[in-house]
Amino acid sequence: MNKDELEKILRKTIGVSKGETEAVVLGGRSYVTAFANNYIHRNVGENNYTLSIRVAFGKRVGSVTVNDFNEGAIEDAVKRAEEIAKSSSEIPDFVSFAKPEEVPERSFFLESTEQASPSLRAEYVKKIIDTAKEKGLNANGTFTTEEMALGVANSLGVMRISQLTTASLKSVIMSDTSSGYSLATSIDINDISVDSVIKESVSLALSGKNPLPIEPGKYEVILSPYAFSEFLSSLCYLTFNARAVEECSSFFLDNFGKKMFPEHVTIYDDGLSSETIPMPFDFEGVPKKRVYFIKNGVITDVVYDTLTAYKVGRESTGHSLPQPSDFSPYPMNVIMEGGSLARDEIISHVEKGLYVHRFWYTNPMDPRRAVITGMTRDGLFLIEGGKITKPVKNMRFTESAIDALANCVEVSKEKKINYEGTSITVPYVRIKDFMFTSATEF
Amino acid sequence: MERVIEEALLTGKKLGASYVEARVIDREIEEISTKDGSVEGIKHSTSKGFGVRVICNGSWGFSSSFNVSDAEVKRVTEEAVEIAKASALTKIDDVKLRETDIYQDKVPQPVKIDPFSVSLEKKIDTLIELNKLMNKEGVIVRRANMHFSREWKTFASSEGAFLEMERIVSGAGLASIASNGKEIQMRSYPSSFGGDLQRKGFEWIEELKLQENAENTARESIALLNAKPCPSGKMDIILHPNQMVLQIHESCGHPTELDRVLGEEASYAGTSFLTPDKLGKFRYGSDIVNIVADATAPYALGGFAYDDEGVKARKVYLIKNGIFVGYLNSRETAQKLGLEPMGAMRADNWNRMPIIRMTSVNLEPGDKTLEELIQGVDYGILMSTNRSWSIDQMRLNFQFGTEIGWEIRNGKIQDMVKNPTYSGITYEFWRSCDGIGNENYYHIFGLPNCGKGEPPQVMEVSHGSSYARFRNVQVGVLR
Repeated sequence: MNKDELEKILRKTIGVSKGETEAVVLGGRSYVTAFANNYIHRNVGENNYTLSIRVAFGKRVGSVTVNDFNEGAIEDAVKRAEEIAKSSSEIPDFVSFAKPEEVPERSFFLESTEQASPSLRAEYVKKIIDTAKEKGLNANGTFTTEEMALGVANSLGVMRISQLTTASLKSVIMSDTSSGYSLATSIDINDISVDSVIKESVSLALSGKNPLPIEPGKYEVILSPYAFSEFLSSLCYLTFNARAVEECSSFFLDNFGKKMFPEHVTIYDDGLSSETIPMPFDFEGVPKKRVYFIKNGVITDVVYDTLTAYKVGRESTGHSLPQPSDFSPYPMNVIMEGGSLARDEIISHVEKGLYVHRFWYTNPMDPRRAVITGMTRDGLFLIEGGKITKPVKNMRFTESAIDALANCVEVSKEKKINYEGTSITVPYVRIKDFMFTSATEF
Repeated sequence: MERVIEEALLTGKKLGASYVEARVIDREIEEISTKDGSVEGIKHSTSKGFGVRVICNGSWGFSSSFNVSDAEVKRVTEEAVEIAKASALTKIDDVKLRETDIYQDKVPQPVKIDPFSVSLEKKIDTLIELNKLMNKEGVIVRRANMHFSREWKTFASSEGAFLEMERIVSGAGLASIASNGKEIQMRSYPSSFGGDLQRKGFEWIEELKLQENAENTARESIALLNAKPCPSGKMDIILHPNQMVLQIHESCGHPTELDRVLGEEASYAGTSFLTPDKLGKFRYGSDIVNIVADATAPYALGGFAYDDEGVKARKVYLIKNGIFVGYLNSRETAQKLGLEPMGAMRADNWNRMPIIRMTSVNLEPGDKTLEELIQGVDYGILMSTNRSWSIDQMRLNFQFGTEIGWEIRNGKIQDMVKNPTYSGITYEFWRSCDGIGNENYYHIFGLPNCGKGEPPQVMEVSHGSSYARFRNVQVGVLR
């Protein structure tokens, strides 16, 4: 759908409703070319749009989502939302939908990405596969291209539409005893360097062959941006949001204003930064504000949606998920400030430790201290005398993300965007006393 | 509906596809969540669309759309063929599907009480009442939720299959979070992460006995704040059926998915230690461990009449007398290993290509009473209700945590313990299983949120189990 069609749907929805109303259109076309064992094994396309409607009569709110835009369907959906609102009991914390704010329109839509054909995606993938075959390796991964639209309108005057394209190339190269990972994401397919992705994933698979056993215990670690983003991802839902503070599960509760981390730890959310896959406003139509979670080591703030903000007399920071949601508000464009040293320089400061390329299957064990467990994956190496020396077998870590940030002694100047629906942009980090708790067989 | 499907099959064949299948799904979902005595959110959603999967030039292509119209069916089918041709640029071997019986069938799902016929007011009142029952000093968050869904699926293939299936699901659960200002503790009923779901009508909500268990759920969350920490070390453990669900899911269900075994999920979910050379020989567990994949289990959330390749639902053994004997498979992967298709190909909606998923993967009951299991433990922990989970990408090293535990000393239950965790290597753990509860404790829990695949898919699966006892397990975490 083009912008005019989206606006027409939004206006029609607001127009036919009898209550305070919010309409959200989300959708577009997305394609995933997935490969494994050196061939494309799953190759799919999707065309879908949904219309989510919330109608409020005072504090009684009804929500409906449909993907039918045929004659009469929108009217039926609005009527259903009105009926639900009338049958519902009050949501005490509900005040209203978002109020309009002036923000300049920006476009994140690139035809180059939108027009990517199945054969173009296959050609990128073939290049990875051909290199893997040449080196006796096994190529796996995905190449995803999407064009998505988000439109939000409400009866208080909000009317915003944003169109976005993304291209994301992931490569996991495997040998019998090793694997290497690389990911590149941009709104412009022309920014995706297949050669860089091949270089990173292939070199790790080659250098990681025949890993040696290693004993679990405390190690100084260099976490790659892929690995470190897993930690920040956990903090997004455990710590960095107003709901977690309200429900007393966030470590930040009772610690706002305190300096708990080193000076070089600054982490924020900014949907409009050039370092992220952008998102100009949230699913309530509120423009994204920059929110510092930690500024120069001091615990600063968390993100809000309208429900959590109005409850404590604040304004939304523009971090609502599609409502109603048990997980909203949520940071979707997290960025950590980098340092002045190159990756290899911070590695050179490690006398004995581990380089972790990626974590996997991380899950919280203690929400308040953000204690997380997970496995290493796709590249674990010993660092000796300031240099990466040999591959070692994967281990399980169990560590508090809060303690890990407190023990973060250096950050690199290089950063990477890790995008899986949400965007986390972080540097390489050096962390002391990182706890690995058990080993596995490979 | 039939016209859309017919058009997809005709267009696909005309464009040179050797195989075409089309699915149309019309789904309705109602979700009600309450928190601290009030409604938190009520969401009603409908989703309709179709997907077309083809084999052309020996490779797969799939496309899908929300717009169920003649013109769009033609475009989507053409796109599926174009995508398949692009896949063929990297082809090694032609896709071959194992032959299977072809069915034409219509399968409605009778329920006692249509969940969509029950008024919203009644559902809200029930949930608010549960909130009230959990309202105790020390409890900071009370939650109760209900979920209902209904779908009609029509599937047809160029081989002549034509299937129409109805699916109705109901579920509910509650949770209480307590805090003393320093820590939080949570208890859920009947299991965590949304409760328990079955392919039943509203009668299932009444069978769940939520009211009878709400107060105790809140009391236990408060008591956990003052409970002693779970000890660490090697000891025996007994797992409640609601924790066995997760144990079976992660350490047996996923590693027996033949697509992951063959490397098709390597870039995301991972692979598996249960490689084809181990089939029929590998000692996965002790002699008493028998695990089946049973899509025919009545009411089980992982059950259905036919899978998304038209293969009729059946029950097969994955583990028999402790030996690894079977896979969850598809027609394509069955062909690769010369196996019989067992019907585990499932797509989470019209916009996804089917992949191998769990059905109802169940540990068959044993012969012990709970008292006998406990009496056989000198020192150990009884653990209940999953709280955290993590397992490596080959499904070997796992570490799971539960909401609550009870110390067992000299064959008797003693003190409550908090933050229990246990870990191990999958086959060592299952080999240490020396007691399984009898069928009186056996229950099939519905798990609505199994994630897998790229693009991601969320599937409804289920797991049946009784209590089970494991010897000499690592409890707690090395610090």
